[in-house]
Amino acid sequence: MDYPILTVTTFLPVVGAVLILLLGSERLARWIALATTLAALSVAALLYWKFNPSSTGLQLEDFAEWIPMWNITYRVGVDGISLPFILLAAVLSVLCVGASWTAIRTREREFYAALLFAETAMIGLFAAANLFLFYVFWELMVVPLFLLIGIWGGPNRVFAAVKFLLFTLAGSVMMLVGMIALYQATPELADRPYGMLDFEVLATTSLPPGLQAWLFVAFLAAFAVKVPMFPVHTWLPDAHTEAPTAGSVILAGILLKMGAYGFLRVSLPILPHAVQRFITPMLVVSVVAIVYGAYVTLAQTDIKRLIAYSSVSHMGFVTLGIFTGTQSGVEGAILQMINHGIISAALFLCVGMIYERTHTREIKDYGGVAKVAPGYAIFLALFCLAATGFPGLNSFIGEFLIIGAAFDTQSWLGAMAIWGVVLGTIYLFWLYYRVVMGELNPGLKGLPIELNAREVLTLAPLAFLAIYLGLYPECVLAFLHVPVAELLTHGATP
Amino acid sequence: MNGPNLTDLALLVPEMILVGAALTLILFARRIQNASLVTAATVVAALAAAVASIWLLADLPETGFKTGFGDMIVVDGYSQFFKILIAAALTLVTLLSVRTHGPPDPQTPGPTAQPTEYHALLLLASTGMMFAASAVDLLTLYLALELMTLCSYILVGTTVNEPTSNEAAIKYFLLGSFASALFLYGIALTYGVTGATDFETINKVLGETTLASNHILLAAIGLLTAGLAFKIAAFPFHAWAPDAYQGASAPVAAFLAAASKAAGLAALGRVCLVAFDFEGSVLFTVLVVIAALSIIVGSIIAMSQTNMKRLLAYSSIAHAGYALLGLISATDAGASATMAYAFLYVFMTLGAFGVVIALGERGESLDGYQGLATQRPAIAALMLLFLLSLTGIPPTAGFMAKFVVIQSAVSAGYWELAVLAVLCSVISAFVYLRVAVLMYMRDPREPEPARFPLAVSAAIVVAALITVIGGIFPNSLLSWAVAP
Repeated sequence: MDYPILTVTTFLPVVGAVLILLLGSERLARWIALATTLAALSVAALLYWKFNPSSTGLQLEDFAEWIPMWNITYRVGVDGISLPFILLAAVLSVLCVGASWTAIRTREREFYAALLFAETAMIGLFAAANLFLFYVFWELMVVPLFLLIGIWGGPNRVFAAVKFLLFTLAGSVMMLVGMIALYQATPELADRPYGMLDFEVLATTSLPPGLQAWLFVAFLAAFAVKVPMFPVHTWLPDAHTEAPTAGSVILAGILLKMGAYGFLRVSLPILPHAVQRFITPMLVVSVVAIVYGAYVTLAQTDIKRLIAYSSVSHMGFVTLGIFTGTQSGVEGAILQMINHGIISAALFLCVGMIYERTHTREIKDYGGVAKVAPGYAIFLALFCLAATGFPGLNSFIGEFLIIGAAFDTQSWLGAMAIWGVVLGTIYLFWLYYRVVMGELNPGLKGLPIELNAREVLTLAPLAFLAIYLGLYPECVLAFLHVPVAELLTHGATP
Repeated sequence: MNGPNLTDLALLVPEMILVGAALTLILFARRIQNASLVTAATVVAALAAAVASIWLLADLPETGFKTGFGDMIVVDGYSQFFKILIAAALTLVTLLSVRTHGPPDPQTPGPTAQPTEYHALLLLASTGMMFAASAVDLLTLYLALELMTLCSYILVGTTVNEPTSNEAAIKYFLLGSFASALFLYGIALTYGVTGATDFETINKVLGETTLASNHILLAAIGLLTAGLAFKIAAFPFHAWAPDAYQGASAPVAAFLAAASKAAGLAALGRVCLVAFDFEGSVLFTVLVVIAALSIIVGSIIAMSQTNMKRLLAYSSIAHAGYALLGLISATDAGASATMAYAFLYVFMTLGAFGVVIALGERGESLDGYQGLATQRPAIAALMLLFLLSLTGIPPTAGFMAKFVVIQSAVSAGYWELAVLAVLCSVISAFVYLRVAVLMYMRDPREPEPARFPLAVSAAIVVAALITVIGGIFPNSLLSWAVAP
């Protein structure tokens, strides 16, 4: 270990944010933000090279004393589950800067500072090796997004921002109680080298089943709001729709994954008894989210809202995969989280780019875009196909694994999931048809809709990832085999 | 029993510094016309008192405490913790008061109190607070709290040409003297039952006899709690706070919200843990109810406020409830939790009041915050920091404070109370973030606020630094907060 790579990756964006705030130059802000996110990405890439996918436990750890009075330490590290998310967060942050380059024209300093704070929170959350640190980053994430939505969002932004904040806070305070209860229930961990609330240590302690059930409910409140699971998903359409493009990308790309990641880090390994007990309701809620979410998506007339509701449906697949509790189901769920992070981010970027020119999100104001912007049509086609789970593109493998695992668990679950896929194909193709095909909408005449070089550069990495992960999913799955197996053995032997 | 002797005076160096400074100011009131000189003198006295407190703390013997004046006062880690906190709060409030004595501004009818009198009252009130932190006898405690509140009544009324200020002072005085009477009655009854007024003896008598369930003792405990709950503005003895904060000038309101509350908590902590900590003490049951209701009432009523000082008053009521979550566990760890909470709360609330003061007239009403972030990004960002800290969002000090008190409540088995507390913190998030929404998400309607004095910004920056550092590195504070 030469220097703390993970800590540097986590806190580099904050340094950039402080620099932006201190320099006081509106012009320089976006350049500093770009440089910082690129630097963070290159340091994160180092993590990728140094990581050994075949060994168990956390790697590239950084450890320090933090609050000895409470026996809480600062410890970060990555395993095969968290590493892909860190890389995704680093990539999406760069693209967010790219997407905001010309779209954000007011109060740029504060915008990019908030973006960088959010990046630190995202990376820190996935790197955290104990629950306390996890909670700190979990809450830290809320504030910049609240500001991003509320300041630079659409017409109804304040309502959306406050709703987002109150929903997520109401969930996360229950996690705070759960965390304190867990702290209280494990006094014997105080003497361990990593102190209290360490994920790895907690996974090896068995808690009384009654307590596990209560803890599961407390953590569920926090995770379900973030995922979001039916019926606490109602903040998501508002927040996604009103957020600026970068905000939507972070929300869809990372924030929604935080809840599912929480299930993987806390619920499955630490509360296996309770997971067994609550497995049926969780599976039911997941398929309800898949099917109900898909039907609601069909009814949307606003492009952003449509993609937002499709996220409810897609995240239903993720929770379905997680709660099948099988190796392939959980692996598929994690792969699908990455895939959804790539695709929904790309779709929101596509919408944001066209919105910047037309200033409308209503589907009926579009039509025939392919005639004036063939490049845009190709990108959108690629991402829509990827979102439907088209073979050869990334979602296919993830959904395949999840649905396979669902059939193994209960065949009706698999059938409902397939129904969700069918509906997904319908709403995405229909969206594509209405926006891109047909005659050019008269309202679009004369507008320069075709993408410029910066926008192509912003979308290209995601397009590459969508194809690459579709053809070679093993590059993510290879990281998952060992940690998922480890996760599930904790769950199987409580 | 030892009689007082000259060496006992050494224990009172911090208090003597403050009293000395106050008397000097009063003595030369007519000579000193320069307000900044008075401010400087007060700051120096407060800092000297802090240094003296630290020196006394470092000088403590192995046993960890020294008593003096016939066991009327004690100097230990607990008292010195609060004395340093009170001295720090006094320093910041003095700095925040600079504008109050600036050149007369025809637009804003400023206070007409002499700067010397105003500062002498601040110093004397702080002296009372310090005595309250040291008091181990109900009579000393009564005198200390009276010194503190008598000065506070006058401080609230210093803006003599404002009718609201006069009204606030009278309300505060009437309710306050009532509460003092109750407290005194409680002392009398306690003496009647136990035959003692000093904490150690009371506890010993109650532990050795069956007097604990005596009905008169129950009444005594109720009366004492009422008197102390009034000082920390906890429900149902909170009614004075919104009116007093609104009517008083903003620095005085900040002083009441921060220092006065800390002193009240210091006194309550010692009364709870030293005097009435016996098996099945009804005091803790009473405190549970007071804490729960303070949190609920403070959070909910704050939602409908349109005046910033009133909003902060209700917030301070809720925070009194949160602070009590530590004490109800009746353990040393719980008392430490309350101490840490009081410490961090003092700085975040002083910071929030500091922004109110910096904005002048505009800071008083909630509408004045509209569009502040576009006009003054730095001050808006600091306000956001203080609001997040009051909400309890990491990595600010407010989160660590909330974690430690809720953890203490859970360890004592008060699950429902912990859940209630966090749910109310969501309600208060709505309250505080309403201000954030106004600052960041609305267009400005009023002209840019005027420049404010350097001293005010210095005080705000100090509060902000402690709010951030306390949130990221709370350990040294936690290790320093030791129960009596």
